[in-house]
Amino acid sequence: MKFDILIAGVGGQGVVLASRLLATAAMDAGFHVTTAETIGMAQREGSVTSHIRIGDEVCGSLIPSGNADLIIGLEPAEAARNIHFLGMNGSIVVNEHAVMPSVLNGCVEYDPYQVLEFLKGNCRDILSVDFTQLAKQAGTYRAANVAMLAAAAGADLIPFSSGDLWNVLEKMVPEKYRDVNRKAFDMSLERVSGIKNPEQQAMDV
Amino acid sequence: MTSKRILMGNEAIAFGAMKAGVQIASGYPGTPSTEVMETIISNANKYGIYAEWATNEKVALETAVGAAYSGANAMVTMKQVGLNVASDPLMSLSYIGVKGSLVILVSDDPGPHSSQTEQDTRAFGHFSNIPVLDPSTPQEAYDMAKLAFKLSHEMEIPVILRTTTRVSHGCADVMIEDIDPASRDIEGFVKDPKWVIFPKLTAQRHPWLEELQVRLSDRFSEYFKENSFNSISKGNSKIGMVASGVSYLYAKEAIKDSSETFSLFKIGTVHPFPEKAALEFLSNITDLIVIEELDPYLEEQFLQLIGRHHLDMNIYGKKNGHFPLSGEYNVDTVIDGVNSSLKDINTDVPFLYHSSPVIDKENVPPLPVRPPTLCAGCMHRTVFYAFKKAAGKLRTEKGMESIFSGDIGCYTLGNARPLNMVDTCLCMGAGISIAAGLSHTHHYQRDQKAKQVAFIGDSTFFHSGVAAVISAVYNNADITVAVLDNRTTAMTGHQPHPGIGLTATGVSTKVIDIADVLRSCGVDLVETIEVNDLGECIDTAKRAMEFEGPSAVVFKGRCVGITKGKEQYVVDEGKCTGCMLCVSQLGCPAIFSTSSGLPVIQDNCTGCSLCAQVCPSDAIVLKEDSQ
Repeated sequence: MKFDILIAGVGGQGVVLASRLLATAAMDAGFHVTTAETIGMAQREGSVTSHIRIGDEVCGSLIPSGNADLIIGLEPAEAARNIHFLGMNGSIVVNEHAVMPSVLNGCVEYDPYQVLEFLKGNCRDILSVDFTQLAKQAGTYRAANVAMLAAAAGADLIPFSSGDLWNVLEKMVPEKYRDVNRKAFDMSLERVSGIKNPEQQAMDV
Repeated sequence: MTSKRILMGNEAIAFGAMKAGVQIASGYPGTPSTEVMETIISNANKYGIYAEWATNEKVALETAVGAAYSGANAMVTMKQVGLNVASDPLMSLSYIGVKGSLVILVSDDPGPHSSQTEQDTRAFGHFSNIPVLDPSTPQEAYDMAKLAFKLSHEMEIPVILRTTTRVSHGCADVMIEDIDPASRDIEGFVKDPKWVIFPKLTAQRHPWLEELQVRLSDRFSEYFKENSFNSISKGNSKIGMVASGVSYLYAKEAIKDSSETFSLFKIGTVHPFPEKAALEFLSNITDLIVIEELDPYLEEQFLQLIGRHHLDMNIYGKKNGHFPLSGEYNVDTVIDGVNSSLKDINTDVPFLYHSSPVIDKENVPPLPVRPPTLCAGCMHRTVFYAFKKAAGKLRTEKGMESIFSGDIGCYTLGNARPLNMVDTCLCMGAGISIAAGLSHTHHYQRDQKAKQVAFIGDSTFFHSGVAAVISAVYNNADITVAVLDNRTTAMTGHQPHPGIGLTATGVSTKVIDIADVLRSCGVDLVETIEVNDLGECIDTAKRAMEFEGPSAVVFKGRCVGITKGKEQYVVDEGKCTGCMLCVSQLGCPAIFSTSSGLPVIQDNCTGCSLCAQVCPSDAIVLKEDSQ
């Protein structure tokens, strides 16, 4: 077994927590797991990634290009920035909520709609939802990362069930944030339930 | 009892050290090393360990040395550039040695991701004659931490445990053992001339140190027979590979489909180089591919080995252009390097296979560049903007230019547009001294006198700013020191420092007041101001800059990484004229411009009010439901 997940986002979106959750779930499921995280200067509003490699053998923590089984993009541009990691039969879960850079730092005109269309047009297996909006409805936009993991589990895109994932989450999320995360988790599961073919879903959701 | 846990490499090292019985630990935070000390600190009470943050790496090492002289198991942690600061005690210490044990954790940062340099601590081990262990996984990091303490105690020499970012800042499932409380049984310091370095003592000890290198090299060769840190797997071709650290895993993955082809020499004890084992390995091969990040350290060891033994062999690595001399490696880099080597080797071994990307990156629509930026609501932005305004006034009123020397910390990010407020940045504490140096050149420049301003953070001030201030005052340098005091070591994850009033383990202690330090160093104009009011900040900055001779302002504020304001601001579209000053002047990541021509404030606003103070139309107002 070998399963490589890349999480991409902007510093502050909860990429590291999402990566730890997946790593712990993988260990609990009896696999070896290794992650590579962005910590330090680049966290300050910069582009960040976490590589999570799950499998029977210990391996280096960086996913080779063309190898990811799943890309979780907490932000459209960050998913697209790392698209070269996507493997042959890989899937994408992308958050439609864009984080706009301050114009002077951003340099180029960024059109999130165009980027999302590119992702949908080029990836066969893509789940595209405004998870930030969904998380806001659950109580806080900060739970978008948790909502995205729930969606990945609900759509059978990761090698463990949503129940296994929640069991880990419950232990790792501080008690005062547990309810709001549970709500975001459940709402996200409900959102993706019944989506048997993510190909269709890209247009529907 | 053992248990399996998801641990970051740095956490694994801390657990290894605690299992090995570490009794005292000191360090200075620095990415990617910080979490080793943080983990020890959070377990200090539980296991009876003394743990502290020192003011800098030199002090940290010397503190740990004192403990080790007493027979304690001591540890010191730092990042690679921290070892430069600690290099003075380190170089002398190798002659003296230790009594208990001393492990020096140093994290290198290939890339670099969060560092000024791409230096290689293996070379420092070579330079200082101190053994270096180089783990490739968090599990190895845990096991090697234990080995490091054991080796240090047995050989009476400090041991460097060297990691790289991917080992330190990667998580993995790690098998750890139950930890016992640290032993209280320390022999204590025993007076002896051997603790006093002196030319004569160094001359006596130097042969011992050289002889120790040979003993350690032989011992590390033995590890290939017994120990998983060093291993040899034999292939069926005459092509060999050597790798250490995380590069070993990249190598293994790169050759996964042809692993029986290549012989692989995996080395975890990189210094002193295990020559005997290496020679034996070379006896079966004709071509050697060296896979290592940063310096061509192993490559040089092998090159001199084949030279000394007149071996007919080719080596492929960084020195002949097959592998990059800089930057971080990954599986793809290694495949490219091996294929480049295979091209030059007269062999029928097939090239290694790359999985090619399914979606070509070339076709991706334009993406925003996201350089690291000061956080939304960061107090540093207010201070930089205040100095920018003050400098503008000085230019208009007096025709005086200003030069801004920065320093190491979050506030290095003041270099980014649109602030552009960092003209020089070199290393920890250098801003003040560089500003002083620049000021002393005014005598040689006609009509060119500029005001020299040095920005320095609170933790960096204690780290290496004080000596620079004293020298500047002593030599009457015409500089203004701006201390950015957000009451934490922010960049590395909010460690306390001497200005906070709390020790690493949360014990209340003396507050060392930065303004008092500046005054007692002889700075004549010292002001302290909270950063809430931009106008006051500008006036204070200007006053300090107009002062002849050394002056200083301590700007006090909060770090939004710890306490975010409850308030948020919004743009009143009825009042906003679309002048975009809030966007173009501040570069705050909470504000962006939209196609409607009006700015929008996002959810990450922390309510610092700087944009509201900058807005000429009073169009940025408190969000009603935000309090």
